[in-house]
Amino acid sequence: MRERITFIQKLGDSLEPSALTVSGRDLNGPNVRAVREDKLTFSLDELPSELHTLLKASHELHIRWVSPVAYETVSPLLARLPPGFHLFYTPGQGTDVASHKLCSTLQDVFGSITCSTPAESFTSLPVDRFSHATASQYYQPLGSLSHFIRYAKGQLCPASDSSCAARLDGLTGASSLDVSYDTISHALKITALWPYQSQPVRAMSRPRVRTEVGVLSAEKPPTMKDHELGIAGLLTVLGQDAKPSATMFAFASRHRDAESGFSATFLTPTGLHPTLQIRLESSKPPSTSTYCSPHAYLILPNTIFADKYQFSDDLFLASKNLTALRFISQPVDLEAPAYVMKPWGSAVLVELAPPSKSPQPWTAEIPLHLRYLSPAHGGYAGVQVPHPAVFWACTAEEGTKFPNNPFERVNLGYDGLFGPRTVFWHVEPRAQGGERLVSTVKVPVLDLNRMEWVNVGTAVTVLLGFAWVVWKLLGVYRKAGHGRVLTKEAKKEKKRQ
Amino acid sequence: MAKLTPVGTSPRAPKSIPAAPSQSSQSSLASAIFQRPLSLYLSAALFRIVLILYGLWQDANSPIKYTDIDYLVFTDAARFVARGQSPYARETYRYTPVLAWLLLPTAYQTGSPFWDAVWFSSGKVLFAAADLVAGWLLERVLIMGRGDARPMDVPTARKFAAIWLLNPMVATISTRGSSEGLLGVLVMALLWAVMARQVTLAGLLLGFGVHFKIYPFIYAPAIVWWMDRERIAGSDAVAPTKVLNRIMGFFTPSRIRLAAVSLATFMGLNITMFNIYGAPFLTHTYLHHVTRIDHRHNFSPYNTQLYLASAFPDLSALRIESVAFLPQLILACVLIPLVVAKKDLPTAMLAQTFAFATFNKVCTSQYFLWYMILLPLYLPGSSFLKTKRLGVSALTLWVASQGLWLQQGYELEFLGRSTFLPGLWLASLGFFLVNCWILGIIIGDVLIRSKVS
Repeated sequence: MRERITFIQKLGDSLEPSALTVSGRDLNGPNVRAVREDKLTFSLDELPSELHTLLKASHELHIRWVSPVAYETVSPLLARLPPGFHLFYTPGQGTDVASHKLCSTLQDVFGSITCSTPAESFTSLPVDRFSHATASQYYQPLGSLSHFIRYAKGQLCPASDSSCAARLDGLTGASSLDVSYDTISHALKITALWPYQSQPVRAMSRPRVRTEVGVLSAEKPPTMKDHELGIAGLLTVLGQDAKPSATMFAFASRHRDAESGFSATFLTPTGLHPTLQIRLESSKPPSTSTYCSPHAYLILPNTIFADKYQFSDDLFLASKNLTALRFISQPVDLEAPAYVMKPWGSAVLVELAPPSKSPQPWTAEIPLHLRYLSPAHGGYAGVQVPHPAVFWACTAEEGTKFPNNPFERVNLGYDGLFGPRTVFWHVEPRAQGGERLVSTVKVPVLDLNRMEWVNVGTAVTVLLGFAWVVWKLLGVYRKAGHGRVLTKEAKKEKKRQ
Repeated sequence: MAKLTPVGTSPRAPKSIPAAPSQSSQSSLASAIFQRPLSLYLSAALFRIVLILYGLWQDANSPIKYTDIDYLVFTDAARFVARGQSPYARETYRYTPVLAWLLLPTAYQTGSPFWDAVWFSSGKVLFAAADLVAGWLLERVLIMGRGDARPMDVPTARKFAAIWLLNPMVATISTRGSSEGLLGVLVMALLWAVMARQVTLAGLLLGFGVHFKIYPFIYAPAIVWWMDRERIAGSDAVAPTKVLNRIMGFFTPSRIRLAAVSLATFMGLNITMFNIYGAPFLTHTYLHHVTRIDHRHNFSPYNTQLYLASAFPDLSALRIESVAFLPQLILACVLIPLVVAKKDLPTAMLAQTFAFATFNKVCTSQYFLWYMILLPLYLPGSSFLKTKRLGVSALTLWVASQGLWLQQGYELEFLGRSTFLPGLWLASLGFFLVNCWILGIIIGDVLIRSKVS
């Protein structure tokens, strides 16, 4: 097991080496305003057996959990996803049985994960698009990591080690948690991120665990190129270094800060065809030297969907400040009610069309449709829709290389839909009203409190209508039989015969 | 096979246009339209051309489209066919491939936006032309005389045909690109062929109609029952007394021919389509209608019940929806043909269609078009026209109960109010009862107009 703990401050905030005290396996420092990222790397045999079995049967497995609570972050830890539990998965070869257990294992680890099997609940991702995406995707809303914390405490912490449990409890305040495994590295990487906030610099390592601590801040080294980010600060390997050593480096990053925000709300009344309005604070592209265009990546649970055919008319798109629907996961049944839907929902990538290039606020509207939901008491049900990830996708200049950087975050769903030379400039989600980045749509459903008369009432009415029509038919039959009615002339003719 | 009274040579049919004095005395524009065929059909055609042009303008200038979503489905499917693919590659295409084939010109790309728009509209032109042909056939059938009633003079026939030809609802539906107008022409051609004793043609049309939209199968029993020996073989034979003779007597050559030709047409088309497009053809054209969960709100009285049953499939012990086809088929396929068909075939077909739509598990406004084509055949001499107050009340009730439902539907669909219970449910039951009442009157009229009561 290896561990890396990083505090990242904003540009201009930095810590003197003397502010940190290293004593044996402990490191202590003052309170700083920073983002904290903990990255733990496990080898397979360090894991509980059920996880071991599951991972061995996977080719790639990436979990991305994002908190519904709005959070601030700093460069370069900028990559964002809609809040909830995301899973990107490629099964190993010939491992159907183990793949079947994926959902139940996930349920053991994370709690209320309701998928049944990958075949039924997951959607497949395009294989032809770009090769760096997994085969399938799953999502479901998940508000907290409490179940995961309980599970991890029971599986990973020795009963005697109270610091282990305390550290896991710290995940309650985390903004995101990434769990990644692939057969090439053969290791499980867990990355937790805490939001930009004031916190003490403190770390300690356990025996046989290599722990590296970085206290860094954004920096602009003189050698840094335009497309690069700079980082400077202090690095310490606990139990090995007696004092922190200074470092400074620059690297090309795929995820950058657009330095503006957006909010998402549903226009009222929502009806059965709600419109998600994305309000962006600026229409000014983050980079002027390359081609940039804003996008929204939506994660829609199977209660709500976008109709791809609606996005085909240019006038309609223009009226909503949209350019085009760039991707929608398949299949999306346009008619089925939610209660017969097996797949988790759909992922949608929409390119937005800013009305100008000035730093003016503007809105884009995404037309959506609700499925019929199960009847409920009171006549309404709520559908939780996570706010989208909004970013400007810009093409990097010819020849730009993105070598692996220590803060790279991949397998986010949308990154696989763009070419390898794309830079994502993230627009920060701002929570409306409360602090949650999730909108609730109130959906009218059949009111269970009033359903008692439906069966009887329908049957009686239909029988009544049927009886009336039969009565009229009987009236005709009694007077004129089932044959033809002869006209007067025909009758006379018949009598003459 | 001897034909008793082919249409053109009927001794009772008026030769050309003997204008009734009452009408020639009226010098209004309306009567002028019905005097000369050109003016009626020209105004009907102009009406549709204007609507198509207006639609092009609205589609090009407004984000809210004139063109129906169904038309986009058809034309998408036609585009798939043009590329050598299956029309079922388009989601929600639930029609026979023939429709996509008919619309192949809409997929034609010239490179010029103007000509592309013209080609794209060609399907609407086809549907609008089908409207006109249906109206012309309507006029023919009216002139032939409904059932055994006396034939109608031409200007009056045109006046009633105008209910279809100049009907804004009909013209709008077909120019927005809904294919229901094709059904109108098929059904009217079928009726014309039957009444003109063109048995083979009738069989072809019946088989094709059922292949195209399933529901015309209800006309088969009415036509078969109507086609008795007296009517079609020309022999006014004394009714056979023995049961066996009566059964044998039922199987007349023309009935057998109709059954054979229609079945061969229907199966021939299905086998052809299945060979070309395979299982998706069966799934989307036919099986979809069996397996679908009709949960989206519509006019059907069963709608709320079906929503409930589909959400709790294990809960309901008595499944109304599984017996719902019984009243529908008993009326549309057995009782109405049996009692009404021989007396008045067009009215029987109207009543069947009305019963089929009213008692169906799904009912949307396109279904209203199915019986609207037959309405002008029934209306002359009906109690709705004889007793003005009855006619106005029926129309008012039909529109008002539908309006009530639409209002509840609007609140649900656009305002998000949970109107399923009781509003939408009661409105659909109310609309159902109004329809049943009207249906009862249509059936009762068979007696009044035959002067038997």
